[in-house]
Amino acid sequence: MSSPQQRSKPLLDVRQLEVVYNHVATAVQGVSLEVADRQIVAVIGTNGAGKTTTLRAISGFLPAEDVAVTDGTITFDSRPLVGRLPHDISRRGVVLVPERHKLFDTLTVQENLHFNLTRQRREIRDKVFDYFPRLGERKSQIAGLLSGGEKQMLAIGMSLVCEPKLLLVDELSLGLAPIVTEEIMGILQNINRQLGIAMLIVEQNAAAALRVASFGYVLEGGRVVFKGVCAKLMEHQDIKEFYLGGAEGKTRSYRDLRQYARKRRWWG
Amino acid sequence: MELLVSILVLGATNALLAAGIVIVYKASRIVNFAHGELAIVGAYVFYSAGLITQGQSLLLTIAATAAISALFGVAIYAALMRRLVGQPTFVAAMVTIGLAIVLKAAIVVFWHSKSVGINLTRQTLYTFPGGGRLTLVDVITVSCCIAFFAALFAFFNHTRLGRQFRGAAENPLLASQRQVNVNLILALAWGAAVFSASLAGVLFGSRSMLSPQSTIIGLSGLTAALVGGLDSLRGAVIGGLLVAAATYLTARLIDPALSEAVPFAILLIVMTWRPWGIFGTPEELNRV
Amino acid sequence: MAAGSPYLRVTYAETNRILPEPYQRVLVVAIAVAVLVLPMVSNAYVIYLLNLTFLAVIGAVGLNLLTGYCGQVSLGHASFLAIGAFVTAILSNRYGAPVWLALPAACLVGAMVGFVVGLPALRFRGIYLAITTLAMHYAIIFVLTTYQANFGSSATAGISVPAPALGGYEINSGRAWYYALLLVSAGVVVFSLNVSRGYIGRAWVAIRDRDIAAASVGINVARFKLLAFVCSATLAALAGSLGAYFTGVVTVEAYTLELAIIYLAMIIVGGMGSVAGAVLGAVFMTLLPFGIERLFEALPHAWRLGTTSYGLQEAVTGVAIIFFLLFEPKGLIEIYRRTAEYFERWPFRYRELQPAERR
Repeated sequence: MSSPQQRSKPLLDVRQLEVVYNHVATAVQGVSLEVADRQIVAVIGTNGAGKTTTLRAISGFLPAEDVAVTDGTITFDSRPLVGRLPHDISRRGVVLVPERHKLFDTLTVQENLHFNLTRQRREIRDKVFDYFPRLGERKSQIAGLLSGGEKQMLAIGMSLVCEPKLLLVDELSLGLAPIVTEEIMGILQNINRQLGIAMLIVEQNAAAALRVASFGYVLEGGRVVFKGVCAKLMEHQDIKEFYLGGAEGKTRSYRDLRQYARKRRWWG
Repeated sequence: MELLVSILVLGATNALLAAGIVIVYKASRIVNFAHGELAIVGAYVFYSAGLITQGQSLLLTIAATAAISALFGVAIYAALMRRLVGQPTFVAAMVTIGLAIVLKAAIVVFWHSKSVGINLTRQTLYTFPGGGRLTLVDVITVSCCIAFFAALFAFFNHTRLGRQFRGAAENPLLASQRQVNVNLILALAWGAAVFSASLAGVLFGSRSMLSPQSTIIGLSGLTAALVGGLDSLRGAVIGGLLVAAATYLTARLIDPALSEAVPFAILLIVMTWRPWGIFGTPEELNRV
Repeated sequence: MAAGSPYLRVTYAETNRILPEPYQRVLVVAIAVAVLVLPMVSNAYVIYLLNLTFLAVIGAVGLNLLTGYCGQVSLGHASFLAIGAFVTAILSNRYGAPVWLALPAACLVGAMVGFVVGLPALRFRGIYLAITTLAMHYAIIFVLTTYQANFGSSATAGISVPAPALGGYEINSGRAWYYALLLVSAGVVVFSLNVSRGYIGRAWVAIRDRDIAAASVGINVARFKLLAFVCSATLAALAGSLGAYFTGVVTVEAYTLELAIIYLAMIIVGGMGSVAGAVLGAVFMTLLPFGIERLFEALPHAWRLGTTSYGLQEAVTGVAIIFFLLFEPKGLIEIYRRTAEYFERWPFRYRELQPAERR
């Protein structure tokens, strides 16, 4: 799947985003990314690269502390998102599956899914049980008592019920066994194909993310350092080295690695 | 028999007060120390509204007081509590203490600390052998309490808004992300809380004289809420009855002067033995 | 002072200095002179107000140690004051104890009660602690009320307290009280400042900010929490005791929950966690009712809403609490700091992200 960015207007258009914590710490700087309709885009990077901050800025999910978007624009469906309240952004179709606190622990699975249920959404709710049969078995269980994988499934299910046009998935694989991550990623791909929901997947597990996405961005130190079609990304030497866990052939000594890091090639 | 009736009536008032405290706590983890003052001010407003309508239209007086109370609750949220987002809940509690002082002063300034009573009805329904009376006001009190709690239970457990309320109370950011306007929910909570406070205050004022000192009933309400568990409506009912029973029995069997100290004594006992209340969970202690 | 940079500290001694800047020293000397000279140039009413203020300062500084530094919310301050007052009254009225015996005894009893009241703090935080201290306040007041009803000179008039005498010299004039109270409150302020910049103060602040983290670096949280309660209660008992001598009579009705809240308001309005703030807040909240009363009397009759100034005083107190919590949570002292910092750094405009802990 080639990048359709040039052909039609992107669904989500983030340009030159800058987010600053407490007036001093710049978490994200000059970040631009796009998500086209029905596309899955992956954003990978290590801890502290600014991935979660970017997602939070898009979804208005910035905490009530001293965090501000100081520069750049975020446009969804040709309308700006910056400065809007989270419930407003969510109603427009941008739904976030957060990294932590993704469920209402004291409500049951059923109540979680019914949180904002309207008559029209009952269909989607039923589809959720199709996608995640395990949830169907545990309808009246308190959400806080589910396993990690089931919690993630429920969180995704809850966001589906909100009728999103764009799903923002934050660090899905955290705390999950690799096989469960694979399973859920696969289900996300199905959802994307069948329901036509675009997705922006932020992941530390670069391999899993790049396998399901069509386009990818690499975030480092708050900046986008590389972007491209996923097939190309997976072939790129540096990304294989730093994110996919392996350069073929010669084993590197620590000294080699450090010198190599100093002259990181993707600035050119 | 008369004992039971008295305890029921007193318990109903306590439970209503406790309900208001629990609603606000459930929604925002804030303990409202001004609840007693809100109740008494509500009662005074009812009294004044009654004066204005010259006692002709009870319905109008009720409607006016209810509307004013609910709006005042929303105003408290919008003007005060909303600005305290992100700060520890103790700060908000201090603001409610300040509010309590202002409200008590309002009674002094606007009503000149006059002792007034609300005359809903003097009808006695039944006279007990020992001399006590069951009045219509007593029946109204208990039925109001039951009706209010029934409405609350129905709301929280069977309506979509009630579910959203419970979710927003637990995780406001997530609720916000799930398309729920949390501001609306909190405003609703405060409006309902002040409304219930006024209700309790009016019912109280129908049986006893109102004065600035009456605001001490807020303490009984707070104790009742704590005994039952600050985030449990069931607990509010049970707590209200327990505090009422303890107070009444102490007054009857031991010493009337001692009965004033009963709520505090119960507070001490609860805090020592089971601080999270009968229906609360120990995790609550760490959430503040 | 490090060369070239008036606000960078390079040694521990420098950070611990109470008055690091020359202008601050000048300011303090000026205030000291003014305070010493004041009684000579003012009338009895002003001296009376200032005496009340000094009493309030002692209590406020004590509460600041507990709630401002150690972060333990306490609504029971009034009961400690009451204990100090009552012990003094009982000892001097019934047993004829002289002031140098009654006063320390009151402080000692205060310390013991503070210890007991502080025990729940080991279990609770925040609101629940506030509620527990509230319950204990009522318990203590109840005990004292019973005592006053049964053993006082008369049930409502309370217990009378003779004027304190030190070495044959009786303190019974406004001016004498002024200097005595000035001495005591200055001592209390210096004590508080020294505690705050030592190991104990730092431990308290650590507990306030994150007590679990404090425990993990080896601070005995229980010990310091109790110490905070004991210190605060002792100072409050001192204030109560002096207050008993000052007013000459002790009644339990004076020690209400509202009084505890007023003390809390003092440190909120002044600035929590700052001794200077506590002093400022004490001055503000003590003089506020009198100011309101004066304003009220200046109002034409038509505006007075047919009421006395009492309601207005209460209203303004409540509004002050709310206002400062909402808009200036760091208190009056923060206004001073901002101004001082502005001039310190002038003509540069930068401000510190996390200002160093000022006293």
